This record gives sequence, C-alpha cells and structure tokens, in this order.
Amino acid sequence: MADLLAIQDPPPERADAVEGDRVELAADFREFGDAHSIEEILRLAREVLGDPTFPTARAWRKAGGRAVGCFPVYTPQEIVHSFGLLPVALSGGGENLEISRADAALGSFLCSISKSTLEAALTGLLEPFDAYLFPYICDVSRNLEGIFSRVLPSRPSHMLHLPQNFTSPSAIPFLVAEYRSLIAKLERLTDRPFSPEQLGRSIELFNEQRALVARLAALQRDAPGKIGLVEYYLLRRLGGLLPREVHIPLLRRALAEIERRERKNKDAIPILLVGPFCEQPTLDLLQLIEDVGCYVVGDELQMLHHWCPSIVPGPDPLESLATAYLRTPVDIGVRLTPTTKGAAIQARLDAARAQGVVFLTAKFCEPALEDVVLYRRALEHRRVPYLHMEFEEKSTTYEQARLQLETFVESILFD
Amino acid sequence: MAETSDPRPDGSGVSPSFLRDARGLQRKLVEEYYARLGSPDRSRPVAYMLVGGNLAEIVRSFGYEVVFPEIVALNCAIKHQSLDNILHAESMGYGLDVCGYVKNDLGLQDRDGRTSFGQIPRPDLLVCSFSGCYVYVKWWEALAESYGVPLFMFDVPYMREEHPRKEDIDYLVSQLWDLIHLLEKRTGRAFDMDALKGMLVESRRAEDGWVDFLRAGRLRPSPIEAYFESIFYMFPINVLRGTREAADFYGVVNEEVRARVRDRTYPLPEEKVRVLVEGVPPYTNYRTFWDFFRKWGAVSVVATYPKVGGLFDRGFRHDPARPFESIAEYSLGAYVNQSWPLRRKIIADYVREYRADAAIIHGIKSCRSFTAGQGDLRDWLNRDQGLPTLYIESDHEDPRYFAPAQIKNRMDAFFESLEQRRAVGAAGGPATA
Repeated sequence: MADLLAIQDPPPERADAVEGDRVELAADFREFGDAHSIEEILRLAREVLGDPTFPTARAWRKAGGRAVGCFPVYTPQEIVHSFGLLPVALSGGGENLEISRADAALGSFLCSISKSTLEAALTGLLEPFDAYLFPYICDVSRNLEGIFSRVLPSRPSHMLHLPQNFTSPSAIPFLVAEYRSLIAKLERLTDRPFSPEQLGRSIELFNEQRALVARLAALQRDAPGKIGLVEYYLLRRLGGLLPREVHIPLLRRALAEIERRERKNKDAIPILLVGPFCEQPTLDLLQLIEDVGCYVVGDELQMLHHWCPSIVPGPDPLESLATAYLRTPVDIGVRLTPTTKGAAIQARLDAARAQGVVFLTAKFCEPALEDVVLYRRALEHRRVPYLHMEFEEKSTTYEQARLQLETFVESILFD
Repeated sequence: MAETSDPRPDGSGVSPSFLRDARGLQRKLVEEYYARLGSPDRSRPVAYMLVGGNLAEIVRSFGYEVVFPEIVALNCAIKHQSLDNILHAESMGYGLDVCGYVKNDLGLQDRDGRTSFGQIPRPDLLVCSFSGCYVYVKWWEALAESYGVPLFMFDVPYMREEHPRKEDIDYLVSQLWDLIHLLEKRTGRAFDMDALKGMLVESRRAEDGWVDFLRAGRLRPSPIEAYFESIFYMFPINVLRGTREAADFYGVVNEEVRARVRDRTYPLPEEKVRVLVEGVPPYTNYRTFWDFFRKWGAVSVVATYPKVGGLFDRGFRHDPARPFESIAEYSLGAYVNQSWPLRRKIIADYVREYRADAAIIHGIKSCRSFTAGQGDLRDWLNRDQGLPTLYIESDHEDPRYFAPAQIKNRMDAFFESLEQRRAVGAAGGPATA
C-alpha cells in the first residue's frame, strides 16, 4: 500500500503492468484512413484493443489534442467532443493488464473493469487523459470516481448522476443541470466557453455515427451470415476509441464491403446476448459463441452508440440531449426498466426474432446478476431456452464455456 | 437497531439495569411495530420503503403502514434467521455476489414473510428512494414484478458538493408532488398539509434527541458506545420517525446517558482506545464482533453507519416551516449518498471532534455502495491523516462470510500494536501517530 499512495499523480511513462508491445499510431490516424479492407481494419482494431496504454488517445495527444476517458455505459460524449476534446471509452484493461495495486484500494468482491481501470490509474496508464467522466451506473462506478479524485488529484474527474426517474417532467431540467456541471469543468479544462452551436454540430456528427452503427446492428440481426460477431464487435468498439471523424468513414467503407458479401446464413441458433453492457468479454469468448452455432441477433455490447436514435439538436441542444437520454426506453441493467423485465425481454426476442438468450454477465456485476433472475423467470414461463455464464476480463481457458454453450445449442437443435 | 439480549454479559462496566428503561421501551416499540404490521385486523395499506432518503412522513400522512425491508433483513440476521432466507433466494437464482439484504428479503418474501418477530405483510405500494445505493433500483424492480404493485421512483441526486444545487431541490420537490398525487389517487384522500407538518415537528424532536445521544461520544470517557449501542437505538429514528413515540424515546435514552455521566458509569471500566468505526456491522455475529473491541478496552466514540438514515449530526433537521424543501434536503443526506471526498471530510471531522485514536473499517462483501473504496480510505486515514486504521471484511447478512478467528486475530494484532506504541511513547520513545 505504500506504493499506492506514492502515486498521487501518474509518472509520465509507466506501464510495467502491461504485457506485450505498445501500438504507435500516427497523429492523424492515417493507418485507419489507409485501411481499405475489413481485414486491415480488424487487424488494427485487434492491435489497439490488445494495448491497454490507450494508443488512440496517445496518438491524439501527439497533435496537441486532449482526451477525456469515459466510463461505460452512457455518457454525453457529444458535450466532450464540442470542446474539441477526444472522448475515449474506458472499457477496462482487457486480457493484458495485471492487477497488483487496485485490489487493495477497492476491496475483494468487485468486478474486473473497476479494478483494471483503477490499476491503470495507479500505474500511469491513464496518462493520455486530461479528465475522466463516470456515470452513476452502479455503486462501484460511482465510488470509483471518488477514488480517482484522490489518486489523480491534478486530473479532473466528474461523476454524472443520470436520472432514474424517467417520467418526471423535472428530470429534463435536472439532467440539463447535470450537464452544465460537467460543462463548467470542461470550460476550466480547456479554457474556452461552451458553444451551443458547436454542440449542435457535434450532435449531428454523432448522429451520423449512430445511423451507421444502427445499420451495422440491423445487418447483424437480419443477415448474420454476412458478418462475424467479432467483426461486428470490433467495428463498434473502435467507435469509442477513435475520433468520430475517423470512425465514420471507416465504418462506411466497412459496411459497404460487408453488404456486398454474398454469404448465406448458416443453420445457427439466433440468440440475444444479454449482460455485457459494461465490462467486456474477451474476443475469444465472443468467437466461441459463434463457433458453437449461435448467431447473436441482439446484444448489449457497446451500448453507447445505440442508446438513442438520431437526436434533433433543437434550439437548446443540451435539452435535446437530455430528452433523448430520458425518453428512449432502453431495457438494460443500469436504468429502471421502462416496463417489466419479463415484458422487456419478450419484446427484445420478438424484435430480433431470437430463439434463445445467452446471459453473459461479468463476475460481481450486481445489476446484471439481479436482472438475470427476472429475465429467467419470464423465459421459463414462455419456454424460451437460455444459458447463463459469468466472465472476467482475464479469462484464459474456455473449456467450461465451450461445454456449456455446446450443450445449450444441442438442447435447442434436438428439442 | 434490532432486539438483542443484554450486551453486557460479563457484568463489567455499565450495569444491565442501567439500560433498562431505554432498552425496555425500545423492545416495546419494536414489538408494537411488528404486531401492527402482522395484525390480521390491519386496515391500513402498506408501503415498502428504503431507509436512506425515505419519505415516511408523507406516506404515513396518507394512512400507510411503512415496512423497511432493510430493517426486517437486519432483524433476521441478528436473530440468526437470515441464512435460510439467503439460501432460499439463491435457489431462486440470486447469485452469491448479490446483496445480502436483497437476498434475505426476496427469500423471505418467497417464504410468505414469516419471521419469529412477526408476519411481514405484502406491499400495496413500493416507494424507492434511490439515495446512495443502486441496488435499491434492482431490488424494487424485483418486488414490483413479484407483487404487481406500483413502483414510485424517487430519484435522489448523488451528493458531490456539500450543498445541493437549486435544480436538485426543484427536481426532488417536483417528485414529492408526483408522489402526493399518486397517493391521493390510490387512497382517495386529499393531502393534509397540517398532518404532514405535525409529523415533521415530531421528526425534528426525535432528530434533536438522536443527535444529543450521538454527541455524547465527544465526552472523555464516552458514556455511550457509538457503534454497537447507536445501531441498537437507530430503530426509532429510522423506522418510527415522525411519531411522538420516537421523539419521546430519545428523551428517555438521553436521561440515562446523563445519569451515566453523573454516576461515572461508562461502557467499559476503562476506556483505553477511542475508536471511529466505518461500515455496516456483521449483524449475524454482532455480539462476537463487539467482544473483539471490548477485550482491548476499545470504545467506539463515533461511527458512520448510524448516519445511513440521515446526517442529522451535521446539522440537518426536518422543518415544518419548509416541509417539502426540508424533506428534499433530507433525502440527499444519507451517508452513502455522499461522494468519497465528502465521506472523507466527514470522517476527518469526526476524528477531530470525537478525538478518536484509531479507526476500524468493516467492509461488507455484498455491499458495494458502502464498501467499494474502503481500502483507499484505510490508506488515506493511515498515511494522510496519521490515524492507525484496520480494514477487515465479512458480510452484514450472510454468516458464511464471517470468519471469527481471522477477524479476531487481525483485531488483536491491531490493538496490541496500538498498546505497544503507547507504551513506547509513555517511556519517552519516538513519537508515534
């Protein structure tokens, strides 16, 4: 613990907890502009994801830019963008980060993403960021912000209270006030005033990204044979790591290529993948789900990009953002359910024409674990098959998972 | 907060008779409360509510009985009845890592609500004061689906600054009116502002008395045990707030505290160490845990957990002259609804005001709201504040996670090292914190 407190501010280059090589990207992200095939894009994506030193944020800084780390699940990244800052998704340390210090500060029974994010803070891996944004999605994410304020005192962090009352008319002005508190910090950070006009332009840009992500999701749902689950996931994951101005043309090119593919659907089971809305499963685990014979036709991966449909900026873009968040009835573990969990899962099954559900919940993720019970009850009542598996960031063996998944698929095939 | 047998089994220090009046009165209040809830003649509707940021006065002003499932859960735990409920909840699908309160409650509900201290009635209305714990949302969703009754979400902003913004209060007050309209619709009764103000008068009186009791811990030696005894006496302030009985109760308690000071009768024969305690207690092993302190002459003089129902000792009072605004302000003040920087400030103030020599942090395996970050708090207390601090971990509801030998070893080593430091200091050795 002595070391823990020795790090009140991160050293400039400290990444001894990291396994593997660092990825160095050009300041203008030309690697992604030059990548004209899906294979090239996915190779780059795998490299970026495999490097927990945030290569995209480091590249952005090379050109003098500043970046803000944003914890899952939903944050109003349009606001961050409107200040000329790069919002970057903090999705945990993945497979390549050893946890040595965060355990002592956080406690034993907590999810991997909270520990790996704090570990990154304590070992200097978050150096590329000038500020951090945490939404109140659970008690751990909320408390994590309070720890950040102590261990990284020179870097502002902000905890955003996203309302849980979705029907009160007062929730909109309240959320606007929340956004204004964030804006005050960003104004101090950047030494520039908030511009509603610029926010309107940022919302339009993010709308473009949302529309493309929605197209990708529709493809995954309606023609899953054309796109692999890992492809789909990596293309979306890049959306939280790259500048939107880079991700949008990249996604457009990728979509065009995928849509041209002439691949037929296999005889696989269409399923919903429920639970991994915050901490992220490994790519190997996602691949395994597909390998055993499932098509994921509805999911909670990288929810940020499809939380809301297109947002009309309106005369007050802050109010538009707040309204879009509050009035979009998303069924997910981190907000009060708009109906009931039973009705919600049925609606999602119907919308995706899924035949079963795989619950993939992060170890110790209490919101997901509690939801699973209600979902399961509804599925049993309707005789819809399901499987529940837990995962952690540093999963290495998948024999048990394979066995569970194969049994699940066989039980449906031979039913 | 719950009924326990006499906390002075060895007869040293405070005489059992010393606590007789207050303990007897509390027992009566607890029994009457559960008897009311379980009565087959009960005509009042039932609202379920959470302790933090609760709206008991408003709901009671419409004639509701209020059930606090957290209180029921801790009563189950202290009476060694929680494990059966937890195991039942696990058989329903709730995992090992789910909050013990939630599992106790949902297990109990599925077993028809029967406890040794009373029959817990089904809810007619669920009021979720989302104040400081995200699990509240999940818990109330589960109850709403089980019972098919309305869920009113009272969304309480998390406190990141010492004073709320105008928008926070506006948002809260607006939701209070929404609740009142819902209650009017469900009961067919008109809202009675005078009835509400009358309850707030009693709430304020109880809060004054409760704070007088807590502040007795500032005396040296302390005439109260500010963790174990305060938790015992939390029942009226949390469950019965707004009633004359709760307000009168603290008059009786404080009379006894004054008598203790007058007669020089203290929680322990000798107060060797003044301790600040942070965290929820292991209710399943309450007396065992207390004994681990007593053995070393350690008296808790201040604690954070008794503030989960409100930070009254930091100055807040319900105010009949500003009923809605003060209820809104109250709802923000649950201890776990304070950010870590605010919690650290409260603790630093407590250490100074109550002249604490050391701190014990009890982390709860299944309570992330209270516990996530307590390791960092230990570090801050030890190094930044110079206060010797021990962090131990078990669970508030699940006895499977209470390892007595391990916890005792750690506490023995901690208190022994404190004694040695003092001995070295007294002998003119190097000064220690």
